[in-house]
Amino acid sequence: MITITINDREIKLEKPVSVLEAARSAGIKIPTLCYHEQLERYGGCRLCLVEVEKMPRLQTACTLMVADGMVVRTETEQIADVRRGILEFLLINHPLDCPYCDKAGECDLQDLVEKYGPGKGRFKEKKRKVPESLQDPVIVRNMDRCIMCTRCVRMCEGLQGASAIAVINRGGHSHIEPFSSGRFDCEYCGNCVSVCPVGAIMSRLHRHSYRPWQVKEQYETVCPYCGVGCTVVTQVRDDVIKRVIPKLGSTVNNGMLCSRGRFGYEFVGSKDRLSVPLIRKNGALAEATWEEAITLVAKKLGNIKSTYGSDAVAGMASPRCTNEDNYVLQKFLRVAVGTNNVDTTARTGFAGAQSFIENIFGQGATANIISGLANSDTVMVIGGDPTTVNPILGLQIRACARRGGQVMTVGEFEGLRIFSPTKLLPRQFTETFLLEGIVTALREKKGLSGANAPLEGKIKSINVTAADVAAKSGVSEKQLAAYVDLLAAATTFSIVIGKETVQSIGGSYKLLLLAAITYLANGRVYLLSEKANEQGALDMGCAPDMLPGYRPVAYPEFTKKYGAVWHAELSEKPGLNLFEMIEAAEKGTLRAMYVMGENPVCNIPNSGRVEKAFKNLDFLIVQDIFLTETAKLADVVLPALGWGEKDGTFTNMERRIQRVKKSVQREGMEDWKIVAEIAKNMGYRMDYTKAEEVFHEIAKVSPLYRDLSYEDIEKGENIYPYKGEPLRDVKEDIQIDTSAVSAAAGKLYLKVERPLFHSGTMSTHAASLMNIYPHAVARIGAGRAKMLSLTEGDVVTVRSKAGALSLFIAIEKAGDDLSVTISNNFESKGAFRLADYTLDQVTKAPCIDAVEISIEKVTA
Amino acid sequence: METILLKNIQNPNSADIAEYKKAGGYASIRKALGMEPQQVIDEVKKAGLRGRGGAGFPVAMKWTFASADPKFPKYLLCNADEGEPGTFKDRPILEKNPHLLIEGMIISGHALKAEYGYIYLRGEYPAAKHILNAAIQQAYDTNLLGENILGKGITFHLAVHQGAGAYICGEETALIESLEGDKGQPRIKPPFPVNVGVFSKPTVVNNVETLSNLPYIIEVGGETYAKIGTPDCPGPKIFCISGHVEKPGIYELPMGTKLRDIIYTHCGGIKGGKKLKAVIPGGISTPVLPPDKIDCPMDFVNMPKHGSMLGSGAVIVMDESVCLVKVCHRALKFFEHESCGKCTPCREGTGWLRAILGRIENGEGMEGDIDTMLAVSANMLGKTFCPLGDGAASVVQNFIKHFRPEFEEHIRAKKCVVNG
Ligand SMILES: Cc1cc2nc3c(=O)[nH]c(=O)nc-3n(C[C@H](O)[C@H](O)[C@H](O)COP(=O)(O)O)c2cc1C
Ligand code: SF4
Ligand code: SF4
Ligand code: SF4
Ligand code: SF4
Ligand code: FES
Repeated sequence: MITITINDREIKLEKPVSVLEAARSAGIKIPTLCYHEQLERYGGCRLCLVEVEKMPRLQTACTLMVADGMVVRTETEQIADVRRGILEFLLINHPLDCPYCDKAGECDLQDLVEKYGPGKGRFKEKKRKVPESLQDPVIVRNMDRCIMCTRCVRMCEGLQGASAIAVINRGGHSHIEPFSSGRFDCEYCGNCVSVCPVGAIMSRLHRHSYRPWQVKEQYETVCPYCGVGCTVVTQVRDDVIKRVIPKLGSTVNNGMLCSRGRFGYEFVGSKDRLSVPLIRKNGALAEATWEEAITLVAKKLGNIKSTYGSDAVAGMASPRCTNEDNYVLQKFLRVAVGTNNVDTTARTGFAGAQSFIENIFGQGATANIISGLANSDTVMVIGGDPTTVNPILGLQIRACARRGGQVMTVGEFEGLRIFSPTKLLPRQFTETFLLEGIVTALREKKGLSGANAPLEGKIKSINVTAADVAAKSGVSEKQLAAYVDLLAAATTFSIVIGKETVQSIGGSYKLLLLAAITYLANGRVYLLSEKANEQGALDMGCAPDMLPGYRPVAYPEFTKKYGAVWHAELSEKPGLNLFEMIEAAEKGTLRAMYVMGENPVCNIPNSGRVEKAFKNLDFLIVQDIFLTETAKLADVVLPALGWGEKDGTFTNMERRIQRVKKSVQREGMEDWKIVAEIAKNMGYRMDYTKAEEVFHEIAKVSPLYRDLSYEDIEKGENIYPYKGEPLRDVKEDIQIDTSAVSAAAGKLYLKVERPLFHSGTMSTHAASLMNIYPHAVARIGAGRAKMLSLTEGDVVTVRSKAGALSLFIAIEKAGDDLSVTISNNFESKGAFRLADYTLDQVTKAPCIDAVEISIEKVTA
Repeated sequence: METILLKNIQNPNSADIAEYKKAGGYASIRKALGMEPQQVIDEVKKAGLRGRGGAGFPVAMKWTFASADPKFPKYLLCNADEGEPGTFKDRPILEKNPHLLIEGMIISGHALKAEYGYIYLRGEYPAAKHILNAAIQQAYDTNLLGENILGKGITFHLAVHQGAGAYICGEETALIESLEGDKGQPRIKPPFPVNVGVFSKPTVVNNVETLSNLPYIIEVGGETYAKIGTPDCPGPKIFCISGHVEKPGIYELPMGTKLRDIIYTHCGGIKGGKKLKAVIPGGISTPVLPPDKIDCPMDFVNMPKHGSMLGSGAVIVMDESVCLVKVCHRALKFFEHESCGKCTPCREGTGWLRAILGRIENGEGMEGDIDTMLAVSANMLGKTFCPLGDGAASVVQNFIKHFRPEFEEHIRAKKCVVNG
């Protein structure tokens, strides 16, 4: 116990903290500027100077650690003078443009000057002037307002790990600048914006459009983009989201956001939003009333059901929709239509990979706390750049590296490059050999414990020599041995697996090998998750073989039990998965589809084929917030309320259930509500009046979410296995698909870009993200570009067996010569147009790593 | 007095190891390596050696802290940044007597159980770099550096790192930042370098001249050494005198030699028989003294009692022809330019003071300028992150304190009153 005295008050402290923290804990205010609780101590602004007995000099409270018996004074005349003096210094070069500055009202400097500052300045010299900079798409800089606290730099370097900006020059010439000068050209996370205490670095999105005091409402909700599930706070004025900010202390992201979470909210009020139902009349979509649309859907589905049977109808749920929406849709299909034909795009990777890993290690094996990565001593990354797919998770890996942990990769990941990971770069299509080599060597080093017999059985059967691995993969024996040594030395090991591995030929075998490494190194698995509610959609039973809570439809005990709660007889026949639905539509056995919050014509590989199949349907219902490529093919388009406009829950990749909150009022219905209305029209009653009631039912039905309420999850601290016991259903038998492919000389292959600035197609409706990344490009290595005489900005046709795209060329200095990288975020320009696939026989994920393509310059 | 630090430097080949040895060099090293590290520290303590970089911190105390820290490896850094304006006392050692420094560092390294040493060299000393590197190579070649030195099982590696011309990098923690490859800015203390220094390891930073005392202390023993100079501040001291004296230059004299004697006895008095106007006794950061205040013993303990500081021992002598507004302005230009920008009072205050002084010098002074300068410097003094800002503030305060009328006349006359 440490006892100190501040202003004659005794303060007792359990552990050594700074004088500032001690004072704050006792409610004593000490003004600060360069201090920020998230950042490393700096001691530069000198505003927090205090008197300490027995110390001849004044001390900065933010840097001085308490010591037993210390006597501190913060409110003396001398200290008042010091504060006045420091604030006067900070103002001499400040433009004093508060009436014009967006920060006014929440500016630390303004507030402090008002409270402690001089009434009048004595500076008669020329002020430093810096023009406003609008060079960056989402950030506006007014550097003459900068007070050089370096909070932005410490944020960018120390927490974000982007090291994009620094203090350039020194003394009075010091200023904050990107290393490249000019544009930031950075990760545009805006975390520097969060910590800038003045109006020097601000968001451009709400420039001159409101004042902080005009924000009457704010809501703590969850980011709509990726599976990390960051807490965001929406700030609203006149039913418009004016700004999205993070929250300090929130569990998942603790005050940090990525560019999508912070700047991607503008899709909410987009002009392109659907607002009235559309019905296809004479070949074209025309506006209709809700009543018309709902009765039409109910009638049509009823007809098809009675003519062709329930299984002629299928539904697609959404990893962007809430648990409540997804639950109601699958229930609708199971009870009102009577089919298990329901799936989501989680099937394209996450679902299969998760169940594969869970079959080996038990349910919940991938439900690991994201922040745990930072505390791992060794993190291995494969199959995707976590800093772009799940940026906030990526930060934890950077933090691990910064804390002296080992970060190891198979493959090159730009977002980790400056952290110098230990990496192995196998030749194309030889990853499997390399992983076999790692498993063999690691087993020899660590031995087998006998804990997991089925997995050990598989591990024992893997035997390759390092020499063989070297010959095939190009990774030398020495490199391999060094890598394995690091894995063997790990005491807290984590492995992060991205979709590229899952979506590759032999993906399930690779997953087995990675599971083996995890097992041998005694670690845990993180599966990157691209969309906000992939996990939730699966939990809700949006799968052809599973009821909510992962109860197999094929077991009558479950169908009976669920049927009893739902007052319906449920089919025990597993339904069609995503890919089977497409085949069935092609064949004509599937007649109608209900697509909710999903854009399969863009988001499923070989999208041309999907488009054709959908055109073959008798009846297509698309419920969405935008007129997507899929919606354009629909017979009925139902406009739904989107994120920010409705209540509900998301379940993130850690399996944390979190509340999503309505921030703005918009006319219309939630997805669940529309579905419920249709159900009612088909004679099945669903009388929910609000999302919370749906959740109550989920909590009753699903053993996974048993007994949970909104109240329980309000704090966002509900993590697996919630109130229940984890279900440990390890399968005895591990199936794998060992398909393989070898590289053909000189060929170009398609690579899917998973960019930082986009997520799905939704982000293309967020104006600011579009300003950062405006259109689709084909990225090609500089070497290959030279070979093909291509220069930046050229228009090319990229062709595969499945289709062709016309795109701009972007040349990547460090890019390889074997691939062309295209994102799948821009409608009709997505990589999936080119991606014909085979399915992994076990995970059912499409394998799209061996799509041969050609590239051809389009001459004007 | 027999010179200790500048011994033999008249010899044109003094930087060569053979000449150094001929003059008795590297004799102390065998003796020191035969002693326990703690015994070496004890001798330094008996010698009462204080750091010559400017602050006069007791060397044995600093070494004891570093040596008590359980972390290894430990580092010994030699501060050869010599950036304080007016200072050129380390230069003769670096260029003419490099082996004295190297010998001192090997002995110090042994005392600290440090296996690595760096000489952080002022960027503007290119000749010294070559000379030091050549000398270090000679020392390696003769097994005075490297592994198992002279068969005594002791390791010490030494390398030169050249700065890039920032005064602040002479401050020990900024020096460490710079050595690590970061921007030279001082670090928060504590932790002190003796515990968390370069590469987060225990680190001792000592000045060139400080370390160069080691061979002699070992040779004659701490007690004998302590007979030189003043009781609180023993040893020889190199003074470097510039400005208006008959014989400016480098003088090795006992600590505590009176400033008046330095100017009038050793340097032959004011040049051309002119009148003395002001003296800066220890480098630009130390308070200026008027002619009636120069009867002070030049050491770390006595100078503060006489209103100034010993600093680096760089004496700048100014005669009656000098305009002190101009000198003060020039000094503040220096501080503004060299302020690292980390802390508010120094970053903003130095520029502000410089701007006012510039105006006064240009004949654009205004009433109230002097009060503003005093207020600004009061807002700086004692509030800055490191002593650089304090130095800047105290320069202004002391020029005004001793020579206020000259400033007032400048403002009133709207031109220089000394040189028209
Ligand atoms: C702004 C500033 C500049 C300094 N420059 C030097 C320098 O050039 N050389 C030096 O030896 N010490 C310099 N010092 C002092 C060092 O911080 C440190 O006290 C010294 O290197 C310690 O060595 P010593 O104990 O042997 O004197 C400077 C200090 C400050 C605050
Ligand atoms: S937006 Fe993010 S990456 Fe860019 S400078 Fe700011 S903190 Fe760094
Ligand atoms: S831009 Fe803002 S955060 Fe960065 S140094 Fe300036 S005031 Fe501080
Ligand atoms: S996109 Fe993902 S990482 Fe970025 S803020 Fe949203 S949830 Fe967090
Ligand atoms: S006083 Fe402050 S600004 Fe000046 S050099 Fe020291 S740390 Fe840098
Ligand atoms: S808040 Fe303590 S120095 Fe800035």
